[in-house]
Amino acid sequence: MLLEAKHLTKTFGEKVAVNAVDLQIEKGSFTALLGPNGAGKSTTLNMLIGLSQPTAGQVVYDQQPKLGVVFQGSVLDNMLTVRENLQIRAGQYRHVPADRVTVLSQQLGLTNFMSQRYDTLSGGQRRRVDIARALLNNPDILFLDEPTTGLDIQTRRAIWTLVQKLQREQNLTVILTMHYLDEADAADNVIVIDHGKVLAHGTAAELKDRYAADLLTITTPDVSQLVANIDRKPTRVTATQIAFNLPTMQDALDILTANRTLISNFEFRPGTMDDAFLALTGKEMR
Amino acid sequence: MTAMIKRNLLLYFRDWSGVFFSLLGALISFILYLVFLKQNMLSSWHQVPDAKVLLDTWLIGGTLAITGITTTLSSLALMVTDKADHIAEDLELTDAGPLRLFASYLSSAAVIGFLMQLAMFVIMWGGFYVTDGLTLSVTAVLNTLGLMVFSSLLATVVNAIFIRGIHSVDSLGKLATIIGTATGFLVGTYIPIGLLPSFAQNLVKFIPGSYVAALYREFLMGAKLDVAFGENTAARTSFDKLMGIRLNWSTLLTQQETYHIMGLMLIGAAVLAFGPEWLRIRRRRRVVRER
Repeated sequence: MLLEAKHLTKTFGEKVAVNAVDLQIEKGSFTALLGPNGAGKSTTLNMLIGLSQPTAGQVVYDQQPKLGVVFQGSVLDNMLTVRENLQIRAGQYRHVPADRVTVLSQQLGLTNFMSQRYDTLSGGQRRRVDIARALLNNPDILFLDEPTTGLDIQTRRAIWTLVQKLQREQNLTVILTMHYLDEADAADNVIVIDHGKVLAHGTAAELKDRYAADLLTITTPDVSQLVANIDRKPTRVTATQIAFNLPTMQDALDILTANRTLISNFEFRPGTMDDAFLALTGKEMR
Repeated sequence: MTAMIKRNLLLYFRDWSGVFFSLLGALISFILYLVFLKQNMLSSWHQVPDAKVLLDTWLIGGTLAITGITTTLSSLALMVTDKADHIAEDLELTDAGPLRLFASYLSSAAVIGFLMQLAMFVIMWGGFYVTDGLTLSVTAVLNTLGLMVFSSLLATVVNAIFIRGIHSVDSLGKLATIIGTATGFLVGTYIPIGLLPSFAQNLVKFIPGSYVAALYREFLMGAKLDVAFGENTAARTSFDKLMGIRLNWSTLLTQQETYHIMGLMLIGAAVLAFGPEWLRIRRRRRVVRER
């Protein structure tokens, strides 16, 4: 195990931000910490990185690892160019080869704006520069704190492809937090956190299987007859439509075949990460 | 550490308006003097020979001391903004280590303090050369340059003590305003020390910048005063005391004594600035080891 968190706890005064979280991270794995705002994701991440000390519990690395961190906000200097920013950070590490910045800029596609000032870059360009900065010391583990928040769909895709490629090709261990749930599909290990506690973990498919109900919506000319025919409780009934939350696809097939004469149309949608997430964390905003 | 110093210098000098206002802060006393005070002070000095040039050099001395204090402070502001923008967290991840990071903020501030004093010196001397034909000897210039180095080091560590307690950009601005306003009085640039009430005179002696200002005046005015006062030591002593050219402890301080006092202040301030940082790091290490 590359990294293990045992009973990690952090309190701020009365408030318990992280409550006895256990984590095991294997080398080369891709872990996503998922949770609503204020769930304790970033606090957990900061303790794993070593930027804040846990109130109780501990973080154990199996050797002294090199860490790379992409922070939620920008931590590079707006007034400096991309090249200056990266060269200066590289200079603050002990064993960074002289051509590291050039290599990374080619690898991450930064060559076109290396001499542009950081504050003139687009959000997606900035994110790539941030990732390049995190990779300067050739880290064993890459932490990313909500790396795709506020980016358009194309850029998000590009960033995911990049991170996955790095994980595959360089056997990089990736740990990230996010709240765009559909993106969790890329992770080997999804950990859902809320109120500082781990609510569930597994692959995205496992979580969807376990926690996300499939949704069947049927359009029918005779709503009352159909409701009488089916002994399940519908989640929604309108003048022409009935909707059900179903545990499996088979249940949907059973309903559809048994009532095919009453059905003018239907829509079946398998459970998404969003459904699993809402099932786990509730619908309340905070 | 060199990378970090380079970064801090780049950030300071790339922000042109920042550099300009930083200089303007120091230029204010210079301009105020020209507009409001010069005629007034000259008329009360009519029996002093070469009064014009003496006043000019007196002002240069005080203004350089102020410049050292305000420009190093505005450069150290980077430490606060880095913390506020979470850049400090990113810097802590590098191999540089907190003590070296702290030292590089201080080093770059000292470099900036020196360069800005140099710029101010050139501007003021140039101005007075044109208007009053002010000339300075090579010795005076060399001594002044050496003092600039010491002055910026001293101002940097003293400011570093204050800035350690500042955590928001807002309170930083307020601190800068307070220091910028107070300095002119505290180092006796706006009003000669001898004209202050005795409490204020004693207060001035607790301010490191006063000793810097006094030494600047002594270096810049010394030769001219020798000529002006000749053998009249009593008049010379009372003039030195009045204008803050030499500060008065039990007797008027000599150059060497002033340098010694400034050296002790520098060491004391360095202990106060680095001490808490060092303790914080040690405490954190101990916490980590216990786990």
